[in-house]
Amino acid sequence: MKKLLVAAILAIFSTAFFAQEVEEKTAPQKAHYNTSKFKQLNEELPTPNNEHKASGASGHEYTQQQVDYKMNIVLDDENQKIFGEETVTYHNNSKDNLEYLWLQLDQNMRAPDSNTPEISGGGPDVMYSPSKFAKTFMGKPFQGGFNIEFIKDVNGKEVSYMINKTMMRINLPKPLASGEKYVFKIKWWYNVNDYIADRGRSGYEPFPDGNNLYVIAQFFPRLAVYNNVEGWQNLQFLGRSEFALEFGNYDVTITTPKDHILNATGVLQNPKDVFTSAQNKRYEDSKNAFENPVFIVTPEEALAAEKGRSKETKNWHFYAENVRDFAFASSRKLIWDAMAVNLNGKTVMAYSLYPNEGNPLWEEHSTRAVANTLKVYSEFTFDYPYPHATSINAERQGMEYPMICWNGGRPDKDGKYTDRTKKGMIGVITHEVGHNFFPMIVNSDERMWTWMDEGINSFVEIYAEYKYDPILFPLTDHPKNIVRYMSGDQSGLEPIMSQGEDLTDFGSNAYGKPAAGLFILRETVMGHELFNHAFKTYAERWKFKHPTPADFFRTMEDASAVDLDWFWRGWFYTTGANDIGIKEIKKYYVTDKPTERAENMAKRYGITIDKLPPALYLVSEDSPEFKNDLKSKKPEDYNLLSDYINTNFSAEEKAALKAPKYFYELVFEKPGDLVMPIIVEFEFEDGTKERKLYPAEIWRNNDNEVTKVFPSSKAITKITVDPDEQTADVNLNNNSWPKKTENKFEKFKKDQIKA
Amino acid sequence: MQLKKIIVILLVLPLFAFTMHKYYVSLCEIEYLKEKQSIQITLGVFIEDLEFTLNKNSGKRLNLGSKTEVGNIDDHYKKYLNEHLVISVNGKNQPYKFIGKEYDGDIVRFYLEINNIKELKSIEVTNNILINEFDNQKNIVKIKVKDFNKTFYLNKSNDKSLLKF
Repeated sequence: MKKLLVAAILAIFSTAFFAQEVEEKTAPQKAHYNTSKFKQLNEELPTPNNEHKASGASGHEYTQQQVDYKMNIVLDDENQKIFGEETVTYHNNSKDNLEYLWLQLDQNMRAPDSNTPEISGGGPDVMYSPSKFAKTFMGKPFQGGFNIEFIKDVNGKEVSYMINKTMMRINLPKPLASGEKYVFKIKWWYNVNDYIADRGRSGYEPFPDGNNLYVIAQFFPRLAVYNNVEGWQNLQFLGRSEFALEFGNYDVTITTPKDHILNATGVLQNPKDVFTSAQNKRYEDSKNAFENPVFIVTPEEALAAEKGRSKETKNWHFYAENVRDFAFASSRKLIWDAMAVNLNGKTVMAYSLYPNEGNPLWEEHSTRAVANTLKVYSEFTFDYPYPHATSINAERQGMEYPMICWNGGRPDKDGKYTDRTKKGMIGVITHEVGHNFFPMIVNSDERMWTWMDEGINSFVEIYAEYKYDPILFPLTDHPKNIVRYMSGDQSGLEPIMSQGEDLTDFGSNAYGKPAAGLFILRETVMGHELFNHAFKTYAERWKFKHPTPADFFRTMEDASAVDLDWFWRGWFYTTGANDIGIKEIKKYYVTDKPTERAENMAKRYGITIDKLPPALYLVSEDSPEFKNDLKSKKPEDYNLLSDYINTNFSAEEKAALKAPKYFYELVFEKPGDLVMPIIVEFEFEDGTKERKLYPAEIWRNNDNEVTKVFPSSKAITKITVDPDEQTADVNLNNNSWPKKTENKFEKFKKDQIKA
Repeated sequence: MQLKKIIVILLVLPLFAFTMHKYYVSLCEIEYLKEKQSIQITLGVFIEDLEFTLNKNSGKRLNLGSKTEVGNIDDHYKKYLNEHLVISVNGKNQPYKFIGKEYDGDIVRFYLEINNIKELKSIEVTNNILINEFDNQKNIVKIKVKDFNKTFYLNKSNDKSLLKF
């Protein structure tokens, strides 16, 4: 009986537990909070409620405002001005009474009194071109910003309002009750900026032939989001962190010179009025062009149009349903091509509008890249719900709006272009068209959380680009392209969970790092099946709604049953980096002679060695107990084991048993702050290889070092941690055993001499 | 919005064309190996930004890293590096040997070496690569001597890093 008990105890505590000495200390130790990397995120995430549920879904009390716009816009090409009259219908679907409404006046970012230049420090520039010097130190600033002519209610009565830089408050005569609507009219105009000279997400590009290409956005006073997360989202627009807008329906008429070509958010309501009859026929026919793009407006027609300067005008009428914004592009110079895309039986149009200067690059790739983006993103999320997606060629741009976006990239004057130009152009089109899903439809708060649209979008973009051209956009670039950023000095890093304006390295923090993180989750931590379902669930749950970071984090776990709190905590809430290495590899051999550790254990139980149950023991090669003859012994050479096998297994089972001959103790170290799975590649004496993945939870009880025993029938010649660079390991010097003695520099030098 | 566009918004007059990569940064790793009496320098730069700069300086289209790259490209590299990456060892400017370059995706990496340094008392790195062209250019310099590591972040207002032992 006692022997049985001892055996049971030994079975339970067969690890090194008893070897630990109890250390007596005189001074009492300090306590600490839970510092585990695996601590759940309950203290970081907001308390769930009936609008944003603990599951990550929206709850039964979720409400969202709706804002409808009816607008008449006039584009004055001769003077680069734009005029508008808009009627806004604000539906208060919240349970609250509202004393005022906030509108975004983004154009005021370029008004003479804008705070944007005031808050950018950095001392004198290295050099000033004459025009930059004149503008910065001598000249009058650009007279940008909105000129509000009036704001009136439905009865024509003036409405009280107050402008604070890029935000405007409408002071309601009486609070707007829950469920009611408020209708008001704004008349405004502003000077359109030359965005080539002054930058900006909208404006016009002047061409040497005297024509302008307008990409017009953030061009009308727009309602800010009101919800139960931020209240009114009224952070000022400083030029970087983008928008938070309500969904609604847009009925817009735009007046342009008669020889302009234009496309916009929404569906063109009067194609017959604005196209020639030939163009109109091509416009209708293109709806069946599923194979290749076809022209609606040909290069020849665009060339002819750009020579004219019509004084007459025409009106373009658009209607857009359930969109959060409206934008348009217009010029004499525009070619228009089209391709129909079939998404599960529904036809969506992929359009591109570009000047002849964009060819042959644009004719070849733009519309095809749009179609490809719609297909890949629809697979990852939901079928694209809007009627079209349009890519406009605007030099030096990359900016997204519902159904329409501006994209740079043009060949040289002789029509030649490098692979880099092509890659840049396809990359930016994929990125901006992809933004239709995040944030135009899955409508996160861009001003607060840049990563939620830029990061998630950059992640899906990886796969869309790879699908379009796997050679130009290899998947193997990810996630290692973020290593440079993550290995940087901590003083230049912020957690992803930071507001966009506060970031030192905006691109790496809000685009590259979240995208690389999601890539690691999909490819390494969760696998495609679990990840895809959870990611799709998030997109489905929050399309046409306003999700928060917690809704994303929670849904990804709720739909997959994978605890990811450690990943969100490390990758999104800290600036830590991953560095896992091999500290030590020890070889062990099997013996039936009890080791010193076994003797100590026997002593602890007050028994003698001979009372220990029959057992095999592992002896380290460098231990004094090791005898050279153990090297030649296989485990089954010990009768103890062979008897057990012979009595307990059938011949068939015996044949399937592994025959380990070598036992390796692997000691992994983790100088990095992040926890990550350990991916190990073993290379054996016969040249074969084997992979093993230890989940991240291996670091639960020791954040610095873990030890595993790895049995093998063949001797190991080489061990590599993370051989394919899947975990953004910032230091590869400790990833191999035996240690590499030659550094990268010397290897390069040697190869160079050889060549 | 694609990353680059944004950074640019604060510039009154941008001097560069559209780019795809997400940041303006170069990484210069310097290691002194006493047993080899050698200072090994590895410098990684975005091809696109360097191409813009070298095209501008030379008035030619150099087509870096492409099939149509000009034949004497290393001369252009050497000239630019000698002007914008200056290394002074023990108080004296030391020319470095251009071992070679490699193209790795969007990056070109240069391997440079200074030989016959018996003892390292001080090293000063002046690195203003791409700073004239890109206002937000950051040049990271990492210096490693035995177990000692130091990282410098250089930019338009400070392009020098000095280490004394």
